[in-house]
Amino acid sequence: MSFLDAKPGVPLLESDDLVRHYEVSRGLGKPSAMVKALDGVSFTLEAKKTLAVVGESGCGKSTLGRQLTLIEKPSAGQLKINGEAVGDLSDREAKLFRRTVQMIFQNPYGSLNPRKKVGQILGEPVLLNMDLGRKEREERVRETMAKVGLRPEFYGRYPHMFSGGQRQRIAIARALILEPKVIVADEPVSALDVSVQAQVLNLMMDLQEEMNVAYVFISHDLSVVRHIADDVMVMYLGRVAEKGPTEEIFAKPLHPYTRALLASAPKIDPAHRVKAEPLTGELPSPINPPSGCAFHKRCPFATDHCAQVRPELRMYEGREVACHRVEEIA
Amino acid sequence: MALLEVKNLTVEFGSEDRPFRAVDNVSYSVDRGEVLGIVGESGSGKSVSSLAVMGLIDFPGRVTADSLTFDGQDLLTMSPGKRRAITGKDIGMIFQDPMSALNPCFTVEAQIMEALKVHEGGSKKERRERTLDLLNQVGIPDPKSRMTAYPHQLSGGMSQRIVIAMAIACNPRLLIADEPTTALDVTIQAQIIDLLLKLQDDSDMALILITHDLALVSEAADRIQVMYAGQLFESGPADSIFAAPRHPYTQALLEALPERSEGHDRLRTIPGVVPGQYDRPAGCLLAPRCRYANDRCVAERPDVGAYNGRDVRCFYPLDDRGQPTGQTTGETV
Amino acid sequence: MTNQNTQSSTPETAAAEVVAVEDQKINPPSPFMETWNYFRKNRGAYVGLIVICFILFMAAFAQWIAPFDPIAQDRTAFLKPPIWMEGADPRYILGTDAVGRDILSRLIHGAQLSVTIGVFVVIISMIAGIVLGLVAGYFRGWIEVGIMRMMDTMLALPSLIMAMAIVAILGPGLENAMLAIAIVQLPHYVRLSRASVVSELNKEYVIASQIAGAGHMRQMFVNILPNCMAPLIVQGTLGISSAILDAAALGFLGLGAQPPLPEWGTMLAEAREFVGSAWWVITFPGLCILVTVLAFNLMGDGLRDALDPKMKR
Repeated sequence: MSFLDAKPGVPLLESDDLVRHYEVSRGLGKPSAMVKALDGVSFTLEAKKTLAVVGESGCGKSTLGRQLTLIEKPSAGQLKINGEAVGDLSDREAKLFRRTVQMIFQNPYGSLNPRKKVGQILGEPVLLNMDLGRKEREERVRETMAKVGLRPEFYGRYPHMFSGGQRQRIAIARALILEPKVIVADEPVSALDVSVQAQVLNLMMDLQEEMNVAYVFISHDLSVVRHIADDVMVMYLGRVAEKGPTEEIFAKPLHPYTRALLASAPKIDPAHRVKAEPLTGELPSPINPPSGCAFHKRCPFATDHCAQVRPELRMYEGREVACHRVEEIA
Repeated sequence: MALLEVKNLTVEFGSEDRPFRAVDNVSYSVDRGEVLGIVGESGSGKSVSSLAVMGLIDFPGRVTADSLTFDGQDLLTMSPGKRRAITGKDIGMIFQDPMSALNPCFTVEAQIMEALKVHEGGSKKERRERTLDLLNQVGIPDPKSRMTAYPHQLSGGMSQRIVIAMAIACNPRLLIADEPTTALDVTIQAQIIDLLLKLQDDSDMALILITHDLALVSEAADRIQVMYAGQLFESGPADSIFAAPRHPYTQALLEALPERSEGHDRLRTIPGVVPGQYDRPAGCLLAPRCRYANDRCVAERPDVGAYNGRDVRCFYPLDDRGQPTGQTTGETV
Repeated sequence: MTNQNTQSSTPETAAAEVVAVEDQKINPPSPFMETWNYFRKNRGAYVGLIVICFILFMAAFAQWIAPFDPIAQDRTAFLKPPIWMEGADPRYILGTDAVGRDILSRLIHGAQLSVTIGVFVVIISMIAGIVLGLVAGYFRGWIEVGIMRMMDTMLALPSLIMAMAIVAILGPGLENAMLAIAIVQLPHYVRLSRASVVSELNKEYVIASQIAGAGHMRQMFVNILPNCMAPLIVQGTLGISSAILDAAALGFLGLGAQPPLPEWGTMLAEAREFVGSAWWVITFPGLCILVTVLAFNLMGDGLRDALDPKMKR
């Protein structure tokens, strides 16, 4: 039995206290600083579910994506698939693991090799990971193209001949072609126009149903997140601020940061608009994070206690919140 | 008399015999103290039209208009030098990317003082004080120490505040903000929009807010203009245009928004893509993508007509139930 | 009225949507045609290309075009002037040199040598330079430091002096001169390819291929290299002209092609003493070098403008 087979009762993807630190040199003669881009993030993801990771730029959401796709090795913590820790795998198994986690990038103009034809771009993962002949490979590419709504004659065209939405379809096809179990989508629609964005979101949801794939959906657009995600994880400065089912979080955000995020997002319908004071200040530097709760300098509810002690993630009303004063605020 | 009046503005690029119309007969006006929102997808000509107003379209672009007046003065016929004086002093502009709008080689102070020097003059001391004032006005914490900072030492939000300070340095009467918050995070976006609206309100300035974000304009603007492929499709007051869209395009855009959908339903999409240089339809530019399009829409190009207090470019504007009406609009503006 | 339902509930209808609009689309030109269109608009580059084609034609068919054997001596016609001057021998259009060889024939055969030198030098230099640059840019770290400092050191020496030193070690001759020039040109290709690799490395398509499981070799040569070729092609074109120039200089100094080979630089060196008395012996080889180098430079500049996306509107 392969470790890739699903086991009952074991989540598809599990991140256990994932940490990623970067060393940043601060110039000659000074000691290099440590940036905690990801500072202890845990979550589980089931098949066919979508977990949205939300936060401002610099909150560590893209770093998380890089850990999940094995582009980088985490500094500490573990990543498990079907209960199997990735760190313990042999090279051959690690290669199989790679196949199970694929990625869609934000910028459809940068993520496709401009010198390669669509057929070659989509064929590359197949060529590298599957033992298929030339004919079968092309067949598989064409099948996947049909699945994402790309016409067969696009096979021999270069990426620059396509619009942003079409390119994102190609990128989705590339992520899907190995039939992965998890797709990390890093802001997949934020570079697209509204009408095209809807096409791509629909496609992603259709494919999820058809292929039982789970998404880690990294985004800053809360209305998109609300539409597509089952669970939401709000991150702030490398740590989880709040985590829970989408509808509950949107109906009643508990963490002050989640509230501020929701209040900041503009809404079309006056009825949807959330009245709250917009946040003051900006995201602090991750090189020199504030003591205690990282959010306390921007938080309207902060006390001295918040400035000194870092709140741990704890259960409250069925979701996890990292705030000392959640009981009083709620 | 409106502050800025644009009548039938057209901007063309490319060769004479086969030009590409980036902006196609667009008319609008802005009054003092008014916020005009221009929304559209990429390629809709929303940015190009404002660049044309500023006189920033270079060769090989060609700008034509029936009239282009600012505060009663005709911008089209005046000398380039005079026009520059007006666009520099009375019209301010903010661009999408604050990082590239600032010169990385100079300090914040030097850049703002330079803008003041060109249009206002005054002694160095006065200008320095004015700079400090401006930084305070745009809500920069600890402005004294930020004066000597270089752009790379500032965050995106701070840089955008500096850009705004430069744009309002000469007390412009019109501020054009082209996607001012697209490069910023939501929380910072909210701060910047609040700041722009406050500045606009304080000095009774006119503000043109150009963006692709429907929700953003609906919160910020008084009047909204929807553009598509270089044409004005619909314009009207902000509070009603999204509540009851009259143009099928506006309607379709709204339905494509996740905000309007319930739960995990599929979104309604607009099929296809915005027409580019090579594939502009002969009839209504939306015809290949419009769910109500008929033979007339494919063959003829509609003009802008008044309908229920809006300007709509459609043969069959939508009624209150969102269904196309049989009645035709006036043939001319 | 076509009141179609645009709600896409299956990928099939999504595909249908695309089909509906794509049908009317006229496709934008291919990358090659686009570059060619930009190139053609640059008149200087176009003229350069025509001249180069002419030179290549001469070089390829030298045996048939040239009226005489380039090393055959006519003892009856020493230092005959070109035909439009008094005392000319009508058989020798551009006159003869001091030992009675037809200058036109020597120039036509010389084109063969010069083009070979230029092309070979650039090919050798470019292949070695690209490999070193790719490795340096892709792996970074101490490998990069080692390679790049070596190149910096090479650049710190005047190029002609270094080429002379290399020829002095290897011994004079055309092959050794070519090798020396190739080594001298190497740092330009290394630096250029390293710089482009570094900027490509952070692009998302490289990361995407990494996630797909591409190894180092594939990443470097299949994915990244084709995207770095534009500046290298330009540098290569310009490199041909500087190789021809350097070869001529080495030939002039007696370190390159040896007489009686009709290499243009060597011809200049042989004709030194006749500068005052028989100007044609020295002028025509000089003009050939000038025109050829100019043509390659013009074409190189045109290529740069055509390939550089920043130069496009």
